[in-house]
Amino acid sequence: MKYTYYPGCSLHATGVSYDKSTRAVFAKVGAELVELEDWNCCGATSYTSVKKTVAYAIAARNLAIAEQTGDDIVAPCSACYYVLNRTRKRMAEMPELYEQVNVALAEAGLHTNLTVPVRKPLDVLVNDIGFDRIVALQTHSIADFRPACYYGCQIVRPYGAIDEDPERPMSMDRLFAALGADPVDFPPKVRCCGGMLVATSEAVAEKLCTDLLDWAVDSGANCIVTVCPLCQANLDLLNLNGSTNGSRTKMPILYFTQLVGLALGCSPDELGLQHGLVPVKIDAPRLSPSMVGAPSAHGEEI
Amino acid sequence: MMTIDEPRIGVYVCHCGFNISATVDVEAVRDLAAEQSGVVSARDYEFMCSNAGQDLIKRDIQENGVNRVVVAACSPLMHEPTFRAAGEEAGLNPYLVHIANIREQCAWVHEDRVAGTAKAKSLVNGAVARVAFHEPLEATRADVNPTTLIVGGGIAGIEAALNISDAGHEVYVVERQSTIGGMMARFDKTFPTLDCAACILTPKMVAADRRENIHLLTESEVESVEGFVGNFKVQIREKARFVTADCTSCGECVKVCPVSVPDPFNQYLSTRTAIHKAFPQAIPSDYTIDRQGKPPCMEACPIHQNAAGYISLIAAGRFSEAAALIRRRNPLPFICGRVCYAPCEEACSRDNVDEPVAIRGLKRFAMDWERDHGPEPVPDPPEHEYAERVAVIGSGPAGLTCAFDLARAGYKVSVFEKHDRLGGMLAVGLPSYRCPAPMVERDIEYIRKLGVEMKTGLELGHDFMLDDLTSEKPGFGYSAVFLAIGAHNGISLGVPNDDAVGVITGVEYLRNINLGRPQETGRRVAIVGGGNTAMDAARAARREGAEVTVLYRRTRAEMPAEEDEFEDAVAEGVRFEYLVAPVGVLVTDGRVSGLECVTMQLGGPDASGRPRPVPIDGSNHEREFETVIVSISQRPDSDWYGPRPHDSEPLVFSDWGTVEVDTDSLRTPVPNVFAGGDVVLGPATVVEAMGQGRRAAEAIDKYLRGRPLDEFTSHTPPPDPTLGFEDRPFEQSPSYDAIAKAPRVAMPKRPVAARLADYEEVDLGLSEEDARREAQRCLHCGACVECHSCEDICPPKAVQLDMTDTVTTLEVGQIMLATGFKSFDSARMTQYGYGRLDNVVTSLEFERMLNSTGPTVGKVLCKDGEPPRAIGIVHCVGSRDENYNRYCSRVCCMAALKFAHLAMERTDADVYQFYIDMRAFGKGYEEFYSRVLREGTTVIRGKVAEVVPSLTSNGERPHLIVRCEDTLIAKYREIPVDMVVLCNALEPQADAGEVARVFSINRSPDGFFMERHPKLDPVGTTTDGLYIAGCSQGPKDIPDTVAQAQASAARILSLIGRGQVVIDPVRATVNEKLCGGCKTCLSLCPYTAITFDDEGEVAVINDALCKGCGTCVAACPASAISGAGFTDDQILAELAGLLAPVG
Amino acid sequence: MKKRFADPHFGVSTPGVLSKSERDLRDAFRAETDRIPGGGRLDQCIQCGMCTGSCPVSYAMDLTPRQVIGMFRAGAIEELLESSTIWICASCYQCTTRCPADIQITDLIYALRRIAIESDTFPNRLPTHIFSEVFIDMVKRYGRNYETGLILRYFLRTNPLALFGRRRAGIALWRHGRLPILPNKIEGIDGLRRIIAKAETFDLPQEVVERQKVTDTVGYAAIGR
Repeated sequence: MKYTYYPGCSLHATGVSYDKSTRAVFAKVGAELVELEDWNCCGATSYTSVKKTVAYAIAARNLAIAEQTGDDIVAPCSACYYVLNRTRKRMAEMPELYEQVNVALAEAGLHTNLTVPVRKPLDVLVNDIGFDRIVALQTHSIADFRPACYYGCQIVRPYGAIDEDPERPMSMDRLFAALGADPVDFPPKVRCCGGMLVATSEAVAEKLCTDLLDWAVDSGANCIVTVCPLCQANLDLLNLNGSTNGSRTKMPILYFTQLVGLALGCSPDELGLQHGLVPVKIDAPRLSPSMVGAPSAHGEEI
Repeated sequence: MMTIDEPRIGVYVCHCGFNISATVDVEAVRDLAAEQSGVVSARDYEFMCSNAGQDLIKRDIQENGVNRVVVAACSPLMHEPTFRAAGEEAGLNPYLVHIANIREQCAWVHEDRVAGTAKAKSLVNGAVARVAFHEPLEATRADVNPTTLIVGGGIAGIEAALNISDAGHEVYVVERQSTIGGMMARFDKTFPTLDCAACILTPKMVAADRRENIHLLTESEVESVEGFVGNFKVQIREKARFVTADCTSCGECVKVCPVSVPDPFNQYLSTRTAIHKAFPQAIPSDYTIDRQGKPPCMEACPIHQNAAGYISLIAAGRFSEAAALIRRRNPLPFICGRVCYAPCEEACSRDNVDEPVAIRGLKRFAMDWERDHGPEPVPDPPEHEYAERVAVIGSGPAGLTCAFDLARAGYKVSVFEKHDRLGGMLAVGLPSYRCPAPMVERDIEYIRKLGVEMKTGLELGHDFMLDDLTSEKPGFGYSAVFLAIGAHNGISLGVPNDDAVGVITGVEYLRNINLGRPQETGRRVAIVGGGNTAMDAARAARREGAEVTVLYRRTRAEMPAEEDEFEDAVAEGVRFEYLVAPVGVLVTDGRVSGLECVTMQLGGPDASGRPRPVPIDGSNHEREFETVIVSISQRPDSDWYGPRPHDSEPLVFSDWGTVEVDTDSLRTPVPNVFAGGDVVLGPATVVEAMGQGRRAAEAIDKYLRGRPLDEFTSHTPPPDPTLGFEDRPFEQSPSYDAIAKAPRVAMPKRPVAARLADYEEVDLGLSEEDARREAQRCLHCGACVECHSCEDICPPKAVQLDMTDTVTTLEVGQIMLATGFKSFDSARMTQYGYGRLDNVVTSLEFERMLNSTGPTVGKVLCKDGEPPRAIGIVHCVGSRDENYNRYCSRVCCMAALKFAHLAMERTDADVYQFYIDMRAFGKGYEEFYSRVLREGTTVIRGKVAEVVPSLTSNGERPHLIVRCEDTLIAKYREIPVDMVVLCNALEPQADAGEVARVFSINRSPDGFFMERHPKLDPVGTTTDGLYIAGCSQGPKDIPDTVAQAQASAARILSLIGRGQVVIDPVRATVNEKLCGGCKTCLSLCPYTAITFDDEGEVAVINDALCKGCGTCVAACPASAISGAGFTDDQILAELAGLLAPVG
Repeated sequence: MKKRFADPHFGVSTPGVLSKSERDLRDAFRAETDRIPGGGRLDQCIQCGMCTGSCPVSYAMDLTPRQVIGMFRAGAIEELLESSTIWICASCYQCTTRCPADIQITDLIYALRRIAIESDTFPNRLPTHIFSEVFIDMVKRYGRNYETGLILRYFLRTNPLALFGRRRAGIALWRHGRLPILPNKIEGIDGLRRIIAKAETFDLPQEVVERQKVTDTVGYAAIGR
């Protein structure tokens, strides 16, 4: 299987470990990722909030380039996933917009017919590769992990990448259960982390993330697993000052690809574990996340 | 058909106040009409429908000889009857009056006056052209059957039934549930008056039960409806209740039923027994048995042993009853409890949760308990005695079962056994550490008590011949023979020297050991073969002190031996070598000294579907053994079979030496000789042989009673015995994955060292606690487990487990549908957590909680048994929501207020109402609202967004948090509560579509049954003689439902009073000359009005059934069908008129 | 400051004028909202508050999302655009997926942001729109968004002191190799700029707004006969 890989800006910065772990896991399961040639920023939501057709044109450039190979686009960042899909949907719905955007693209000798679907890595692993294949490839136990599977918003809303029920997706939970981990019941699994508010309304974003962290602790999780670089960054930064529920809880915030990677025997470096603000203690072959609040090399330096 | 003179057409254009004249130039239309040929009078008038307007028409008819009338006005739906009547009064045939609809078609749908007028002109033109071709038609009449069918026994159905029966007419009420009363019977109090639902409903239920002319058909459904208004034919299936009308509802049965299943009447909040009554005041008050197919364990068993039954009894600690139940069907319970290979366990549904129930172990437990605690069982004497005597040859499982059944049927039976020990293979083939002789003796003793005569030491073909048995020779003279001599000849190896001293077959070896005959075993023993007999021989040889090696030519995966047997063999030190096969026996001094073997590898599948073992060239090697026990397979002995006298049919033997029989009756070519067991099947299991014995007994009984040998009732297991439910053992049960896992109890065994010392039994049997714990793992597949306890205890003997459904056809004149509603599945709104969070309950669950006969006997309690500190009542769950149902469910607001009142009455909880708009539309409703406000409920205007659990780690009592906007203060709020009540929407029944199809009525887009007219005919339907009432037509409360029921009853009675129905003459007729007999129309007719005349080979239309819909007219390829009032002439003329240019 | 949007709620004393001016304002506003898929459905809001209750940040808004729709319908645009609400929305779409009237609330918020910027009307002390501007500038420059620069420049333009407060976060991320120092520019940057330039000449096309389809829940059936 071959996919066009659209990392998006975050995966070259705060989300670097998502980039590494996605590549590592896809390699393990035998799915080829070819990075989209000279991709550009999708424009994100803040772009659309200001400019008109521009927002669609910027995103569409990526779709146009991707059509030259024709493989499904895999976009790990939920914001990218949302923006690219919205562009496809709206252009398909509105012939005039479709025209305008292609006129704009023509300026760079490009054109899109919206033929390439945009998907999330979780969708590909669960639906294309499948539990059986992944479990068959498992080399290491992750039985000590009690992940709180956190989906956030834009993987399920408004364009659901997985599961029918956007209120209670279970794909990730089932995946990790199949891999022998012990996912906890995490009620706020689709509640927003605040996204970009972390820059513009810090207090609000911090409250949302604190609630999430408190819930993870409450439901007995020993790590939170995410599918979006923004969620990961916002939650991870909270580890700097700990949650406001009194304790100075520290909890590893992993990308789901990192945990899958551990089960498939990828090395911590391949998976970019070193980039997490709360490290994961690994005593192979049996792995376990550092226990809640455990001191750690990086932890002290922070 | 009367002929009429030249058309003289009158055209009458109506202004309808402004309704028409505002958009249509009425005068212009009139003037255009006046110019048309045949038109002798054209007038306009402000209100044509007024008497003055009608008089214009009448006068023209009477004075100006107008003989065709076109009225250009509103929809014929409204005033066609008016104008036709007017014409009739003036002496004109009503079907010569035609309506041109220029209001709905022109005025109301156009804004442009010019276009509107043009269109009106065309319509009138068409009408004028058409009416010229109209012919007088005569309506026919049919009598009305005064009997009425009411579908649905809720308050609507009951009320209507009482009304109609008051007038002295017959009423049938068909109800799907086991009791009438419907939803109202589940409620506690009713708004706004707060009177007790039961107190006002049950008097009506009782009355309905008492009335001579009301017939209640519960657990029944309508399967099909034919006919037309006044004369319907209805087919009704009445499901077996398994309890007859003799039931006195004394309730003894409930005390003994060992089954408990979630109770649907209580919304699954409590459990009930399989035999039950929905609620104390249920009508009819007879009990009913919840039986959803037969348990798989029972179905899988060749002797139909009702395992689930005795398991449930064991779980209840009723051990002797369990043993008695086992004996009902099983002549060899002690043996089966030990050596049966338990096909029941393979079929056991529990396997879907964890592991099958240890059924064999439980059977053994019950029997051992009977043995140890007594009393010794005594079989009931047979009901009648027959003179005929039957001979059974062979005392194995097949023979004994056959003898047992025949003796119970009242025959004299003699069993002939060649050995001195009875039991056949059980005695000589199975080692006693598995099947101890005393156990065999116990079972046989019980059979003896039935008067069966056991003749040992008599061998067929040696001491007597087959013919002798049925001959008149002294000591014989049997009327029938059952041949069950088994398959005791081991098959030899088929390699050089396989007859050498020290080579012996498994069956022979075991026989010698069992009968204490001299048998040398030696130090090193080879067992060739991998079946159960091989395991037995191997383990026996170990007990003789030998080193035992099993040589098998395939691998463990293919080895037929049972898992238990294999494991015990391994435990006892038997060595296994796979993929080896002997190719020769090595002999030294005339005695076996070893085997020459080859190594095999697995090839493609063979006939048996198992991979074929293929020898590897040059892999030959030699092995040293003192004894070689060959147990590849067995075949029956047929040497006994001598030449036959010429006058009778000979037996037929297969190549395998088995006896050929008719597979159903097991009868041989010799009319009075039957055969079964291994002698027919070849080597098979004990219980399979028993199954054949049972079938043979049934066949022999039929034969001796001179009945045909067919329609056998003795059981044959289906290939894959399962229940009708995908993911659960019975309808109300939680699904398999929701059932808590519980490990299967292991059978305790003797320590290996001790085992090898003797032939004592290895399995030690289950303890009382273990047995009960294991029995409680049973899932009660299909609810009723057929333990027969209720049958036995029932004083009036009203329980009949063999009852079947009955299908009856009723002839009724009119039908009322009141099939009610289903409540919205709240789990669909995931954000409310129903089914996931404790203490989120639906309105119906809350109703039951409030009800004194409910699961909490009227107390409002959380899951933890504590009363709630605060309760949130959520309105509009699934209503007024584009994602679910757009409509308002109407009753929820008031129900919610009622809940608030009752909750505050019965608890100290704070009660919150979360509403969008408070709809208190009915009489006394607003007053009730303000009363509840006064009582102190808190109302928050805002739709609840989500319900989330509270954080638990802070040590607080876990509760729920309701998130919403308090819209009146424009604040986001989180309200902590202990219980959330979801007032879920009322939805059409799941099968409303199917029901609508059966009764050929329509449904509105919301899925509810559609009334004929939203305002003017709210209880009628598009099908004449069919009425609707209650929530099947749309959400409504009790007062509205009752009002509709009474309205329907009035409509029904008025037609009964009239006694006749007018059948509209607008209907299809077949031109027999043109009809090609293609039958296209037959299948298309929605009213099944068309039949086929096989003589004339033409379609025939039943005038009474035809509704004149025209489907057949359009479909007929030979255009042989024309519709009266819609003839080709009329339609073509109308088209011509429509398309003609208008100024 | 001068009102860019007339406010219907002051100085109206003649019957009919109020509703008329509301209508005018709303019609003017439609031009924008009609670009929202299902913008026509705004009329059908039943003011139930499901959006507010579902919104994880509504507690911090000065107008609840429900009020936003109400204000819009009343034509009180100025108050609406000066509220913090439209800038606090985290675009998580929870309101949209749950709305019982099937209104695309998140997209409405986007439209309002667009209007706010185009009419230069903002809430005091809430510079979120500046973030957007910086973001756009980044993309124009490099074709990609260079997070380090984005954050730096945003705070320099809005509230330099806040940067100080966040240095620990910055350092931590940098230590863990998550804040690259240099931006990387895409090769096709010129092409992208041409695309943007061209696209900026287009207004978003009007949606074909389907006002609610009135499907009779109780259809007519033959009466009489």
